[in-house]
Amino acid sequence: MIAYKSQRIAYPYFVVALFLFALQVVMGLWLAINYAFTLPQGLVDVFPFSTARAFHTNLLVLWMLLGFMGGTYFMIPEESKRELFSVKLAWIQLILLVGTGVTALIGFLFGWTQGRPLLEIPTSLDFLIVIGALIFLYNVGMTMIKARNWTMTQGTLLAGLVTLALLYLFGIPFYHNLSIDWYYWWWVIHLWVEGAWELVTAALFAWLLMRITGVDRRVVEKWLYVEIGLFLFTGIAGTGHHYYWIGAPKYWLWVGGIFSALEPVPILLMVWDTLRHVKERKAAINNPVVWMFAIGCAIYHFVGAGVWGFLHTLPQINYYTHGSQVTVSHGHLAFFGAYALLNLTVFYYVFAQLKGITNFRQVLGKWGFWVTSISMFLMGLAFGVAGVLQSYLERKLGLGYMVTHQNMQLWFHIVLVCGLFFLLGVIIMIYDLLTLKEEKAR
Amino acid sequence: MTDKTAKLIFWGGTLSSLILFLILTVDTHRQVGALTHADKLSAQVLDGKRAFQKYNCNDCHTILGFGGYYSPDLTRVYSRRGPDYIRNVLQHPEVAFANSFRKMPQQHISETEIGNLVAFFEWVNNIETNDWPPQDSKKYRAANRLSSAAGVSRGAALFQENRCFDCHKLEGVGGDTGPALDQAGQRHDEETIKRIISQPQSVNPQATMPSHEDMSASDVSAIAEFLAKQKGEGR
Repeated sequence: MIAYKSQRIAYPYFVVALFLFALQVVMGLWLAINYAFTLPQGLVDVFPFSTARAFHTNLLVLWMLLGFMGGTYFMIPEESKRELFSVKLAWIQLILLVGTGVTALIGFLFGWTQGRPLLEIPTSLDFLIVIGALIFLYNVGMTMIKARNWTMTQGTLLAGLVTLALLYLFGIPFYHNLSIDWYYWWWVIHLWVEGAWELVTAALFAWLLMRITGVDRRVVEKWLYVEIGLFLFTGIAGTGHHYYWIGAPKYWLWVGGIFSALEPVPILLMVWDTLRHVKERKAAINNPVVWMFAIGCAIYHFVGAGVWGFLHTLPQINYYTHGSQVTVSHGHLAFFGAYALLNLTVFYYVFAQLKGITNFRQVLGKWGFWVTSISMFLMGLAFGVAGVLQSYLERKLGLGYMVTHQNMQLWFHIVLVCGLFFLLGVIIMIYDLLTLKEEKAR
Repeated sequence: MTDKTAKLIFWGGTLSSLILFLILTVDTHRQVGALTHADKLSAQVLDGKRAFQKYNCNDCHTILGFGGYYSPDLTRVYSRRGPDYIRNVLQHPEVAFANSFRKMPQQHISETEIGNLVAFFEWVNNIETNDWPPQDSKKYRAANRLSSAAGVSRGAALFQENRCFDCHKLEGVGGDTGPALDQAGQRHDEETIKRIISQPQSVNPQATMPSHEDMSASDVSAIAEFLAKQKGEGR
């Protein structure tokens, strides 16, 4: 059921991404164990929390980027009405990026690291990643240029991917001043997740909505303009909410506070937009699971990124919650809602297309969706309660860090239990996706 | 909404935010030197930052509030704990946290690197962070003392304000780095306790506790008086 042969390249990207996703969750469980129990010194010396955290976060970035790249390779031929410029290059890129990623992970075990959170990959490997990104952009760009069927959706996607690659460069140098270091660290992290990644996923999501709902391109793309405009308007200057306490000028308290208070608006617009497209659909619902993930993604995106972000973005609140478990709560809900569910929506849609399935079995997908969504939400709540406790006991009452954490232990045990259920849900989804079949007629 | 309005929102929104952000970035660069005391960024401080990255400290600890949330924030560690305590922990984390429920890995950091790390923390300690973090803010700690002193003795309030709980336990609450103090009054008289607080090594040369010579005599007396009363049921 695919129109272009080269779209098949999405499959290996997605399979690798799913495997890394599972590994990320296993590492997450290990981190929860570190929080909930006292580990022997000998183990801590060999495999400390820091290394496990580097695994957890780098696996997150790697699997999500591979998901976006696979999604792009699937979407571009359909949008531009042409085969990909080069399937071979796409393979080389995949092998290069996965090879670099695995090398980096093994390196972490031996202390080979740049030592900056989320950007631990050593500088020499960074250059391989840049080469991988350039191959990708060249391949996507050439396909679009040769096809000359420009659409708004393609433009958004390409703009997002180019920005994503450019911003990565700011994470490479060694900065002398710690404050400047964090200033540009956020150009990678914040401007990725609230800038470039939003562009990429908004384009993928718009394309998917057009496909499954059959709603007119003109309507979808008009709203895409508005959403992206608002995303970038609030998101770019909203970077300021990370500059409150780093030794930057005081005006960031105002700029960050005002712009980021508006950040939920475009997400709310996206939810409303999605629900309206679904209501005005011109196509029949043949695979409810895909729709369930799409709508779930929009709503979860709003809750995790929009509401949870808004809750602690004002300087008066952030003064107490900054760098506490409240941040952890927001991070988990936002990444799951905005990016994990988006990728999984694309995976379900694309896997069915690649295998030429019209109606696949729905039951496991639904279970996977609800088990992961609910357990992640409860985990976010548990982190949130721990974070509020920490803000009050450590920051307000001035109890020491360790004393405070002793009072938060119960919630880390709850996080661990939620994590076990989350892993179960992920295993169900991965099994379901890899064995997706036409449902037998009843 | 027409297509034209939609495009206008897109370009207007994106460009206005981007221009504002870039202008403020330029201005931040102009001001950041003074706010962070960049003139004191010596070669040793830079080597300290390199060591900080080499040992991946930042994936367990936060600094300026960013990083791993597994261990205490290090922005103000220099004023909170002092150089001796930092050296001691970096040399022998397995000893310092032997009784702690959370451990720190022994990474065999060299003596030079430890000195560089201390210099780095001393520099970070002076970054002007709009009085963050609250737990290390003088303003907030003093307010805490005033509010808690209403119900308990001045000595108890000072005991809390000066973070003695970070290392010592009372009634089962507190850290494990130093000994529990429930029986402090049985082991030492008030005068000795005063000396331990201001100069621990003068009583026990092996003590790893930081000295508090800058603490006022009346504060030391108040805490010592409070501790001398701790004569918990002998075990």
